[in-house]
Amino acid sequence: MLQKMIKPVSLFLVFSFLLLDFSAQTATAQMIDTNTAILAQKQEASRGRVAAFLGREDVRKVMEQHGVDAVEAQKRVASLSDAELAKISQAMEQMPAGGDAVGAIVGAAVFIFVVLLITDLLGLTHVFSFVNHKR
Amino acid sequence: MIAGLFFLALPLVVSGCGLLSTGRLPQTPNLPDKAMVAGVPFFAQDELQCGPAALAMALQWSGIAVQPSALTPEVFSPGLKGSLQSGLIGSARRHGRVAYPIAGSEALLAEVVAGHPVIVLVNLGLSWYPKWHYGVVIGYDQERGEVILHSGLTAGEHLSSGVFLNIWQRSEHWGLLILPPGRLPATATEEAWLEAVAGLERTGQWQGAAAGYDAALKRWPESFGAWMGLGNSRYSLHDLAGSAGAFRKATLLQPKNGIPFNNLAQALSKQGKRKEALAAAQRAVDLGGPLLETFRQTLEEIKAQPPPKNGRRKKIR
Repeated sequence: MLQKMIKPVSLFLVFSFLLLDFSAQTATAQMIDTNTAILAQKQEASRGRVAAFLGREDVRKVMEQHGVDAVEAQKRVASLSDAELAKISQAMEQMPAGGDAVGAIVGAAVFIFVVLLITDLLGLTHVFSFVNHKR
Repeated sequence: MIAGLFFLALPLVVSGCGLLSTGRLPQTPNLPDKAMVAGVPFFAQDELQCGPAALAMALQWSGIAVQPSALTPEVFSPGLKGSLQSGLIGSARRHGRVAYPIAGSEALLAEVVAGHPVIVLVNLGLSWYPKWHYGVVIGYDQERGEVILHSGLTAGEHLSSGVFLNIWQRSEHWGLLILPPGRLPATATEEAWLEAVAGLERTGQWQGAAAGYDAALKRWPESFGAWMGLGNSRYSLHDLAGSAGAFRKATLLQPKNGIPFNNLAQALSKQGKRKEALAAAQRAVDLGGPLLETFRQTLEEIKAQPPPKNGRRKKIR
């Protein structure tokens, strides 16, 4: 019994010490490194891109057709973490119709993407693993 | 259910372009029919050592005198009987060179024309019977339909572009440039270049990183990331005034972002400019954001330092 427990417990301890050490370092070294700065900038950009996408008239229409409240969708997007938003934003970039072109017709793939994203956000489906479901 | 079917169909749409392999190099009107990179030495590889050999060729071209055998401990993973892409990238950085990944044949040709050798990862076998291999592309000839590369035991091998594209496709057309930090790739994008240069910071290559950010600013003078990077590199090189100048420029580019103010405060404080440092740190705290805790600590730390005596600057560590 004890033998079995030693490994997980010691691993846990190792990791907690690692964490401890890390936080101690960040408390003294207060220069923010370039990677963090670039990342923060990127995250801000993808948040803006997703919000702008959901705010588009054609996208709004798609949402309406499917009985999705646009305001609620925006709110849920706001609650996503940076990493999750980056994934959505990335997926949007890869879409054939392009998520950024203002006034572009929502292509078939975009349409599916939006519907699935929205239904995921509403908890009806679970296609995107990065979407947090509100309960 | 229906939604699930749609989702299954989606990747096909997205990756559809990958199916259209013509077996020929792309014809780009802006690029010459043939090109050759001069001055790329050749090292015949030892068994399994294509990674160190390819990297040594690229590093030597870039001005680092190093033999493949010296790179083996940095690059080769004995357990895998091969070298990982990340191994090549990490090793290049340790030698103060920027490792810049590229993808696709158009980028490949453009880089060769620009005079940059390209390390490529190819699969000489099949997807289910892989024989991974690194080579260095040094030229191409559209007329004869050939790619020229240093590979294995052959210097300047002429390979039919159809064959080359087939074996390269299996690595999703992965290529790697090894460049002196002051030299931008022909196909450089701001984001990818900054990421590649920031990699130098992690290996403590501050001089190289500063040169990389300088090069970025020549191409993209308004690059926030490059100014931040330059500030951080100069700070680490003890050029505090230069560092503060770069951070100040970053604050002008993003006046609502606390990060450059935080770093500016540090650089000013180290110079003994307590009053200005306090103002910058306070500004960072006022702007807030996810790093607010760090901003607060910066402010506290500067507040806690005693004001310097007249005429005496704080000694730089």
